[in-house]
Amino acid sequence: MSSSQIVHVIDDDIAVRQSLAFLLSTAGYAVRVHESAVAFLEALPGAQDGCVVTDIRMPGMDGLELQRQLRTLKVGLPVIVITGHGDIALAVQAMKAGAVDFIEKPFDDDVLLGAIGSALDRHVHDAERESRTAEVGRRAQSLSERERDVLAGLVAGKPNKIIAHELGISSRTVEVYRANVMTKMRADSLSELVRMAILLDSAL
Amino acid sequence: MPVDASIPQDLESLTAALEAAEARLQSILQTVPDAMIIIDEHGRVESLSATAERLFGYPKSEVIGRNVDMLMASPHHEQHDAYLKRYLATRERRIIGIGRVVTGRRKDGSTFPMHLTVGELQSDDRHYFTGFIRDLTDQQLTESRLRELQSEVTHMSRFMALGEMASTLAHEINQPLTAIANYLKGSRRLLERMTGEEARVLREAVGKAADQALRAGAIIRRLREFVARGESERRIESLPKLIEDASTLALIGAKENAVRVSFRLDPALDLVLADRIQIQQVLVNLIRNAIEIMSEGGQRRELDIATTSVGDDMVEVSVADTGDGIAPEVMARLFQPFVTTKRKGMGLGLSICRTIVEAHGGKIWVDSRQDGGTIFRFTLRAAEGGEQSLVE
Repeated sequence: MSSSQIVHVIDDDIAVRQSLAFLLSTAGYAVRVHESAVAFLEALPGAQDGCVVTDIRMPGMDGLELQRQLRTLKVGLPVIVITGHGDIALAVQAMKAGAVDFIEKPFDDDVLLGAIGSALDRHVHDAERESRTAEVGRRAQSLSERERDVLAGLVAGKPNKIIAHELGISSRTVEVYRANVMTKMRADSLSELVRMAILLDSAL
Repeated sequence: MPVDASIPQDLESLTAALEAAEARLQSILQTVPDAMIIIDEHGRVESLSATAERLFGYPKSEVIGRNVDMLMASPHHEQHDAYLKRYLATRERRIIGIGRVVTGRRKDGSTFPMHLTVGELQSDDRHYFTGFIRDLTDQQLTESRLRELQSEVTHMSRFMALGEMASTLAHEINQPLTAIANYLKGSRRLLERMTGEEARVLREAVGKAADQALRAGAIIRRLREFVARGESERRIESLPKLIEDASTLALIGAKENAVRVSFRLDPALDLVLADRIQIQQVLVNLIRNAIEIMSEGGQRRELDIATTSVGDDMVEVSVADTGDGIAPEVMARLFQPFVTTKRKGMGLGLSICRTIVEAHGGKIWVDSRQDGGTIFRFTLRAAEGGEQSLVE
């Protein structure tokens, strides 16, 4: 990889920052750590090309606000959001604000390194995004109409009971559809399912 | 004025006064809103109010002159004569002027709670006792409903406290877990570049440690999602595989405790609708508890894990031990939060198990085994037949 590229790590927790710096350096990346979004923005003029890995809930400026600031400043660094609060609404917000990925703490190193790898290499990123979108699209093809309805409800953050009510079926049946959706989409968690759905959405 | 001439006149006015008093008493007995019964020193009913007739369901004629114990339920029914005798001999008041809640018996044999106060009346050497009775049926119903509601609220508020705790702790614990996983995964990458047998062993160990940090993260995430949304991520899973994985985890160290483990899994039962991580958590909890209780003593240390089919679409999983058993009074409350038999322990394990199982549409309960020991059972929904056809 290009030596001019730097991974900027922003997290208010020193242990998380330092451990990320350690992990990324063992994978061969140049890392710079920042204790807050504000500190990162201050260091920005000297910042080289690369990508940003940021926590979302931080005192002062949070990850979402940072994304807005970067857009205003026309800084094109891709942002990967990591969070200890796996909440769907937050994931949707972050992805809509332009995050390239949303990862829940604690995470598998391969997931994070994969996300960083594709974020750093724009060409690879675009190509990967495309092929991933295609793959997710293929999986979505295998969903039945009802399963699609349930997927839409889940991505909107609705609980089973509400989905059941809206579709006029029992919540027990919703559960079975939900299980099928997760299996067919090969999603390990609800937030992963949401990531896939957003990917499909933005490809449309 | 001759003295004797006044006697008939006095007698007459006395009789008139007595009759007037009797009439007043009768009118009181007819209209007093409380049930009122007057008895003599032998317990025989002298008179009773109209309300008392209605309350006990007897007409006056069937009660007057008979022993008042006919209106009482055991044990007072049998003991009442003795109570009277004791009072007349000792004058020690146990109910007179004090009042207490006792059980009355109606003509149809049904019983009801009542509040009884007793007054005493002495004329010459004869004793009368007046009982005032208030029917507590409605009041007690209200109270027991209140108590039920209270215990539900207590359960809910404890559960909410648990949820809040899970939610707050989740973030706090995820941070160090992230750091642990990052350091371990990084170390594993460094070890990959090293050669030699020791580097290989270390690499493997460090990798496994990292996986466990991630697993802890997954447990917290699901617990929190589940507490927040009351839902879990259910998939169609193989029950034997679930049990195998969970027991492998839970039985680490079981050999040292000399526990013999047997599995009796119904081969016909395979797929269930379950959140793998959560049901494993339930199993690990039950198995660890069983091992713990057996390591405290006793010669027989046998753990039995079994599955059977119950009803159309439910599967029952049981975990049985040969420990010393659980005291009945604890058993009834065992699945409530913060109830524990362990010296160290918060009493959250079984409460979480119950919440998980119930959210899966199942039930969890505990029984004593006849030959000593305890058996925990829970049910899960089978995913064959019914569930599949439901979807197609």
